[in-house]
Amino acid sequence: MTVRPHKVAGVFMLDSHLATKGEAIYGEKVFGEYRLWSPQRSKLAALLKKEENVPLRPEQIVLYLGAASGTTVSHLTNIVSLVYAVEFAPRVARDLVRMSEHFKNVVPIIADALQPDYGHIVELADFLYQDIAQPTQAEIALTNAEMFLRTGGYACIMIKARSIDVTAKPKAVYKREVKKLEELLDIMCVHELEPFYKAHAAVIARLA
Amino acid sequence: MTIIKTWFGEIELHNDEIVHSNVLKADADAIAMRLQEEEFADLDKQYRGRLRQMAIQLGVVTSEEDYISLLRTVAIKRAKEQIAAAFARPDARIMQLIGGIDDIDESINLLSERLLEWDILEFEISRTSDLAETHAPQSTTYPALKHEFAESIERLSEMRKKTAGAIELEMHAIAPNLSSLAGELLGARLIARAGGLESLARMPASKIQVMGASKALFKHLQFGAKPPKHGLIFQHPLIRGSPLNKRGKIARTMAAKLAIAARIDFYSKKAYPELVAQMEKRARELSKPAIREQV
Ligand SMILES: C[S@@+](CC[C@H](N)C(=O)[O-])C[C@H]1O[C@@H](n2cnc3c(N)ncnc32)[C@H](O)[C@@H]1O
Repeated sequence: MTVRPHKVAGVFMLDSHLATKGEAIYGEKVFGEYRLWSPQRSKLAALLKKEENVPLRPEQIVLYLGAASGTTVSHLTNIVSLVYAVEFAPRVARDLVRMSEHFKNVVPIIADALQPDYGHIVELADFLYQDIAQPTQAEIALTNAEMFLRTGGYACIMIKARSIDVTAKPKAVYKREVKKLEELLDIMCVHELEPFYKAHAAVIARLA
Repeated sequence: MTIIKTWFGEIELHNDEIVHSNVLKADADAIAMRLQEEEFADLDKQYRGRLRQMAIQLGVVTSEEDYISLLRTVAIKRAKEQIAAAFARPDARIMQLIGGIDDIDESINLLSERLLEWDILEFEISRTSDLAETHAPQSTTYPALKHEFAESIERLSEMRKKTAGAIELEMHAIAPNLSSLAGELLGARLIARAGGLESLARMPASKIQVMGASKALFKHLQFGAKPPKHGLIFQHPLIRGSPLNKRGKIARTMAAKLAIAARIDFYSKKAYPELVAQMEKRARELSKPAIREQV
């Protein structure tokens, strides 16, 4: 097996498999010090597999919206300095909290990202990551970018076309969502996540 | 002069200099308690970027590492409290019990299938006498094991009865109108599927009508198939027992009444027996014409 560093520091390619360094958390495969990171289980992994130019850096503070049980968060903590992980469903948040106890750099927050009441807790973030799958996702991204993203900071917003409009063509949905995001953010690129996720796209943007 | 409220305390600034502060030094318990008790407003971005520095300057923590460590401890404490509170709601108990019933049903099904296959195997062996001799069980526990499987199924059925009984009691206490209209078990399923009594009470009838029919609904939206008429509420005897071509209409009325019942249950819990009477009357009316036409 050959190991090579991915363009994003902290991410590695083991042959064609994506990995980060750390202990196994949710039952993922481990090779030596590497934990495999399956694009089937994480949209961020799917993005990194398709695109190496993602503005994630080791010193960043990340605000993560829609953390669920923390699968993606657990890899992100291997890459960046701190993750504020927001999730609103108590059932899945339970796993997130359990996972946060493993890592020194995860701050779990149970809250509704549409009405952020974590304004007194979360610092200025360098990177806003959002995987919410809700019709209101653009609104959520804008609200949070406005409150928490530093000038020059980046945002990566995962869009699930079907949770916004089941009847429209995915591409049309992305376009509409991008338009909404442009209100505040400079859009850098839109990557579709096929074949790993049908009708999903990642929007990468910057707060000027 | 500005006063800002952060997770570790209050800070008063004048010309961007801290002039006064009231902070909780490195005391995770006290901080978590304050987070729960007090209201917080949003912070201005210029202060948000200085939280760590201010905490160090005020002696709340001694380093950036300490800052993260204390914040994380506080956040985990707070999150655990929130989770505990969410699960301590009476409807959370109902949802747990419904989950329990589903688990039991699944286990009973699995064990019953296994037992059935077991019987088939033994039957096949017994049909051929020489097979029966060469394939005699090697262990004496073998026949006893099969018996234990059967007993487990019995025990699970008992447990299911008890669980259903517990659901009935909980439902009468928190959702009397849903209970009488839908029956305790179906009512509990609706609550569980909605994610709680409050969510159910906020749901429009149209959504209650198709709740639990998501696959059918999805097909309808995606492929323009016929819209699903009923989800979970199809289990209701008034709908299941009505003529096929009337079920959609009855389901719609039922959903509307259930929405009312959920709201009354959530906001006042006063029993309102008229709901059931109205529903039964309406179902009779809706079912009738079809029968007349046939005559
Ligand atoms: C697709 S899942 C996220 C999966 C996760 N990002 C991962 O890769 O491991 C979406 C999550 O967003 C959460 N969510 C939806 N709306 C939310 C809101 N308004 N605020 C916070 N979380 C929300 C859901 O509870 C769900 O857990």
